[in-house]
Amino acid sequence: MSVGVSLLKKTTIEAETFVQRLDGRVKFLYFLWATIIVYIFFDPILNLIFLAVTMALAVYAKCWKPIALTILIIVVPWILFAVPILALPLGFPWNKTIIGYINILGKDYPVYLEGLGWGVTWPLRIAVAISTALLFFLTTNQAKLVATMFKMKFPFKLIYMVIATFQFIPLLASEANTIMQAQIARGLRTDVGFVQKIKNYLAVVIPLTLSALNKVQIRAIALESRGFSAPVKKTLLYEASFTKLDYAFLMTMLLVTVFLAWVYVYIGFSPLAHLPWIWSG
Amino acid sequence: MSEIIRVEDVWFRYEGADFWALRGVSLTIKKGELLAIIGQNGGGKTTLAKNLNGLLKPTKGRVMVDGLDTKTAPTHEIVKRVGYVFQNPSHQIFESTVWKEVAYGPTNLGLSPEEVKQRVEWALSEVGLQGYEQYNPYDLDYGKMKLLTVASVLAMKPQVLILDEPTTGQDHAGRRLLSYLSKKLNREGFTVVIITHDMRFVAETVNRVVLVSNGEILMDGSTREVLNAFDVLKKAAIKPPQIVQLASELRKKGIDINALTVEEALQEILKHYKS
Amino acid sequence: MDMVWVKNMEPIIKVENLTYAYPTSKDFVLKNISFTVNKGEVLAVIGPNGAGKSTLLKALNGLVPHFYGGKYGGRVVVSGFEVLNTPISKMSTKVGFVFQDPEDQISGLALTVWEEVAFGLMMLGYPREEIDKRVREAIDYVGLTGLEKRSPFELSGGQMQRLAIATVLALRPEVIVMDEPTAQLDPLGKYEVLSVIEKLAVSGSTIVLAEHEIEEVVYFADKMLLLDKGEAVAYGDTRKVVTMVEELKRRGVDPPSVTELTSLLKEKTGVDVALPVTLEEAVKIYSELLR
Repeated sequence: MSVGVSLLKKTTIEAETFVQRLDGRVKFLYFLWATIIVYIFFDPILNLIFLAVTMALAVYAKCWKPIALTILIIVVPWILFAVPILALPLGFPWNKTIIGYINILGKDYPVYLEGLGWGVTWPLRIAVAISTALLFFLTTNQAKLVATMFKMKFPFKLIYMVIATFQFIPLLASEANTIMQAQIARGLRTDVGFVQKIKNYLAVVIPLTLSALNKVQIRAIALESRGFSAPVKKTLLYEASFTKLDYAFLMTMLLVTVFLAWVYVYIGFSPLAHLPWIWSG
Repeated sequence: MSEIIRVEDVWFRYEGADFWALRGVSLTIKKGELLAIIGQNGGGKTTLAKNLNGLLKPTKGRVMVDGLDTKTAPTHEIVKRVGYVFQNPSHQIFESTVWKEVAYGPTNLGLSPEEVKQRVEWALSEVGLQGYEQYNPYDLDYGKMKLLTVASVLAMKPQVLILDEPTTGQDHAGRRLLSYLSKKLNREGFTVVIITHDMRFVAETVNRVVLVSNGEILMDGSTREVLNAFDVLKKAAIKPPQIVQLASELRKKGIDINALTVEEALQEILKHYKS
Repeated sequence: MDMVWVKNMEPIIKVENLTYAYPTSKDFVLKNISFTVNKGEVLAVIGPNGAGKSTLLKALNGLVPHFYGGKYGGRVVVSGFEVLNTPISKMSTKVGFVFQDPEDQISGLALTVWEEVAFGLMMLGYPREEIDKRVREAIDYVGLTGLEKRSPFELSGGQMQRLAIATVLALRPEVIVMDEPTAQLDPLGKYEVLSVIEKLAVSGSTIVLAEHEIEEVVYFADKMLLLDKGEAVAYGDTRKVVTMVEELKRRGVDPPSVTELTSLLKEKTGVDVALPVTLEEAVKIYSELLR
């Protein structure tokens, strides 16, 4: 049974788990809430817990693959890159505490806790933000989102711009592919130096942008012809309202918040990893 | 005539798809041919065409272009030999003048500035756009933009020219111009392959027709053979041109007429009329 | 739908001396065009690219001049509303517009085919029960029953264009305007869409359509308007216009193959036959002539 079409994909979602059924506002709030909490705390293990919970939800909602892929592409290289640079004595200003030594090419180098903590915590914070945001997008039924934003008194044209942007991302992606093929057919080569790569990039981006602008214009015309600007109250097909499920989820979030507040006051901002405080940490 | 492209039992599947877009397709194209690949959208004709110039590589089987295997030879070598003009001009055009747009291809080939200049001038005159060098491509009407895309691929002087749906969105005059241009280029030595579903255009332009449906070649023969094979065309949900239908209906009534185009029908009828 | 033959004297579309130039150009793209369309008639607008067909069609629902601006002269009255003084959203309740590219018409707000058809009704604030009823009707009419829950982007070209027609039909317009609806479609898609258009024509809808597929359009067009360089070169009954072979060819338009064939035959031999406009007519004429 299809639950409609998700944002970011133009194909129908085929799952109907409680995650899909949660109101869009609740999932959006979850994204904001999780991101803020992992920012208040400075604890990579806490971040991992949040990430794990989000991924568990994603697995249950059958949309974990794109999230895992995005994390893999953005966050993992970041960690692999940042940790050596920060944890080794390469100039990270807050490095004080040595937690061990690592042997590189015959010489022993100290590994610092501050740099390691920083290098692991920040990427994981971003991972939490990305995963919760993607969870929201991939499991939210578009029409319900429209109804949600409408209820929150967003101006209709703005709602349209946001939703339409997401609908058209896959369209533009496939256009970009076609354009790339057309340019390859004219001799564009990918095995080239940096300067040529820029020219290659323009050869795809320019037609793509022009095409996108053109599409937007034509679509605007088509919408106008269907009463888009009519100064009447629009009828929406879905009513956005909270169900017991939403209240249960919100209640859970509230309880966790209270618990974490207690943890913050009595244990500290780094309850599990016990990282020392760093400015901008 | 020697072979320029040979398709050997090619099976093709797009990444992530669970069905075969091409199923065991074999085809030989000789130098100097002028042929059309026809069929419904989604039936495989574009997929087949893109396998002919290395943009797509066969999942199974192989495609030989001028002795090179498209799976092993570098794509830019294949693309030099087989030019592909895409259907939508706005998927290619990115330079600010007609001249620069046509120069893009030959420049990519590494030719010297004088050679590029020669190629651009030649290509523009071939398609009839001489004089438009400094125009912004987007100031041209659709028909001229189409000609521009042909010129920009032509400037690479490929041996084979593939035109993808050249008549879509064109008016009748535009269609006639493309038909004339295709035949002219063929006379000048280019092997021309046209992907289209405009049956009148096919009847008026090409000598050979390859009908692709559901990933397979349903029929491969002369224009006359294929356009008259009504039952095969029906399977691919294609209607023959009006003149071919007229001739067929008249044959059913015992009048022996065989024609593909208006001119041919006229000649045939005049013969009958005289007798 | 039952066909009711009513002789209606008042044209539902009246175009008088329409002259128009887009704001970015000094050339007039429409020059002094006049014609009328009666209720239940089908008018086919033919002519080369750049003749002004699209612009003319857009002048029927208010896109010209309200969306584009520009210089506007003359008068266009559709369903009693003067287009110059009526906002597009109001015109859209009377005039349904189907564009050339099926994908460009998908609103981007609807997740399913059902919602897409409902879109216009939603925009105009119709009550829920009315929406349900009309969407059901429109989807069934164009033959998309069973595809309601699909994403509009998953449809074939022909299906998408029929979807566009359904979105227009749901608004129950008095006039349906179509700008080269089959130009981007493959033969099957063309057949699907032309069948729906023919169905609409036969059941008495008022349609204005710009098309290059002359051989198909003659079957259901009552009148034809030949446009070239912004001017109305010929206007009248389909048979009258489509047999003006020389005029059409001079303007870069091919008449139906059988019509052109017979015209050439007449030139060469002086034989006295009527010019056929369809395949069937041609078969009849030639089987008699060549017996």
